[in-house]
Amino acid sequence: MRKSPPAGALAAVLMLVSAAAAQEKFIDVRQAMADDLTAVKAAAARSEWDAAAGSFEKGRSLWLNEVKPMIVSGAKGDPQFSEYFDRIGDVEADLDRVVLSLKNRDAGGAESAVNAVIWGISHHPRGFDVPAARYTVWDWVFGLGIGVGFCVFAVLFGLHLRRSYYRRYKKQAGPGE
Amino acid sequence: MSSNLVITAVYLVLMFAAGLFFSKNIKNTSDYFLAARSAPWFWIMGSVWATNIGFLHGYLAHGGAAYEWGLIQANFEWFQGPFGYIMAGIFFIAFYWRAGIFTVPQFLERRYGPGISSIYSFAWLILFLVTIAAELYLGGMFLKNILGLPFWPTVFVLTAVVGTYTLMGGLGAAIMMEFVQFVIMMLGTMPLLFILLNMVGGFAGIKDVLLTQWGVSAQYFTVLPDIHHPYGPAPWIILGQCFVTTLGWCAGHQSMVQRNLGARSIYDSKLGYVAAAVPKTLGAFLYIVPMIAAPIVFSRLGIFVEKSDAAYGKLILNLLPQGMLGLFIAGLLSAGLSSISSVLNSSSTMVIKDFYERFLVKGKSDRHYFLAGRVATFGIIAASLLLVPVVLKVYLIMWLEQVLLAMVLGPFMGVLILAIFWKRANTAGSLAGFLTGGAFAVFLQQIIGIQIFFQIGFGSFAVTLAVTIVVSLLTKPPGREKVDGLTWDSDFMAKVGDVVAERAEANGTPVHVIPRPRAVRPVWYLNIKYWATAVLLVQIVLLFFFG
Repeated sequence: MRKSPPAGALAAVLMLVSAAAAQEKFIDVRQAMADDLTAVKAAAARSEWDAAAGSFEKGRSLWLNEVKPMIVSGAKGDPQFSEYFDRIGDVEADLDRVVLSLKNRDAGGAESAVNAVIWGISHHPRGFDVPAARYTVWDWVFGLGIGVGFCVFAVLFGLHLRRSYYRRYKKQAGPGE
Repeated sequence: MSSNLVITAVYLVLMFAAGLFFSKNIKNTSDYFLAARSAPWFWIMGSVWATNIGFLHGYLAHGGAAYEWGLIQANFEWFQGPFGYIMAGIFFIAFYWRAGIFTVPQFLERRYGPGISSIYSFAWLILFLVTIAAELYLGGMFLKNILGLPFWPTVFVLTAVVGTYTLMGGLGAAIMMEFVQFVIMMLGTMPLLFILLNMVGGFAGIKDVLLTQWGVSAQYFTVLPDIHHPYGPAPWIILGQCFVTTLGWCAGHQSMVQRNLGARSIYDSKLGYVAAAVPKTLGAFLYIVPMIAAPIVFSRLGIFVEKSDAAYGKLILNLLPQGMLGLFIAGLLSAGLSSISSVLNSSSTMVIKDFYERFLVKGKSDRHYFLAGRVATFGIIAASLLLVPVVLKVYLIMWLEQVLLAMVLGPFMGVLILAIFWKRANTAGSLAGFLTGGAFAVFLQQIIGIQIFFQIGFGSFAVTLAVTIVVSLLTKPPGREKVDGLTWDSDFMAKVGDVVAERAEANGTPVHVIPRPRAVRPVWYLNIKYWATAVLLVQIVLLFFFG
């Protein structure tokens, strides 16, 4: 029994570490996929189409075998995965665009499609989707009340400080005066 | 890549050497914890800002939050931060000076007794451990992303460097190094803004792409957003953050206060704090505005961003040329190390002054406590290192830190305001208020599920005020020893001047403020009123354009 608190603490630490490790793995596999796709751009720019196709296959394999399954399973229990889940269709469409560009030997098209894929597996700001501003009359009254109230308070308090400060010095003139 | 590594390594070695150099001048606890009260105002200004701005409060975490939520993050730099600096510098610091204390809990102890002071110290120590762990994590992730260094060994090296120069040099080393770091940060990180704006066609170009082409919410560009904004609506930013948490942070954060108590005079202390509002305002151009442009750059160049906290590192890695990147890394390391160093020094001060000296080992020599301070510094950084795996899991570090701060600073501001402005507030009332306010903050966050830290801060502040007032009125008033010289009265500012002048005269320290205002006046450009007015005018202009 005496060993149970330390054992519980150890289990809690292990759980946290394993959750952190899963988080790190999700980062690492997406980073590896992005690295492979970046290699596609570089090879396509040099017109090394076989190398570009090889790098692309590695990247797509990571998508199919690691990244997408992690997103699909993660989205069931963790809201952090939902943004990636919502973009699965876009990413797959952009991957198809890369295939087409490589087939047509279009370096510009490949770069544009690869950039879109990498942006698709990246984290997007949540602030992009906040609701539009909709102030009510009460919001304005509340906001202006605080603002004007504070200004009045600050002026009155400042005047009080100033008065009390100089009252003191008038009472006790220092040696320098 | 190698030139960046060399610049980074040289910088770390210089920091290490500086700690050893400054350690020669450290002889007692006043030297170690308060830099012998010798720092001029401009050191205080640089040090306060460098303490405030690190990996966590600045480039990486706040920059990351700006990437996540948009320009609203600039409300820290353009609104509440400068306001907090000015208010704390002009009003609260004077109380601490007059009391002649080392730590904020010491002030609470004199006013309310040891109970609340110990609870407050303990809460801050927990916060400090999390803060240091978060800074180490962000620093490790940053160097991993930028230089490809392995995460854990990098964290250990950072720990060793910052631990050494803080442990050896104390506050004097920290303040002097922070001033140097302040200059490096400003010069080293400003070029990014111009490179980015040039790339995306200025601020108008950013708006055009995000609003017109991408259809992003207009609130991504608002400093004080709509009342329905999930991050924090404007009224709550004003009520909860401006008047409670940020002001509490400026007046109650040991690292910030300690720098001011290390000043050579009360005038240097106040001017240093008020003047720090200038770099604070500029900070938004270093790490907030660039992050608003970051999504455009990432999508155009195909740069992978795993999470918001990593966005700033990815941006500079892909935009800056090699030599400049090295300087930039040095600037960012400056920010991170100075923040860790200051929190480390402050937490060891609290451990020694608020726990060790008071409860564990009383009446020992000054040298004993000075050495114990160094042992405490070592222990704290070791404990923080153990917390790094925990913060690794957090989605947005800045959010976690702000929620924790709101839980402590809401109740703190409640009892501090009453301590200073209401003589009837007593020990029982403050203890009941602080504990109830803290419990209410936990209730709001854990049970109700409120995630907006402004609301948590203001809610716990309001409950603390109410409970403290009611319980104080129901119990005996405090004795005169707990009120005289520690509460506001009409002669307060004059008394501060007298006390400080007496203390300075006794120590033979030069005093820049003489308690007779007509006898000696500072030159116009060192006038606190002018600095404060100029900063507030700039805030109004910024809010007019971005509010």
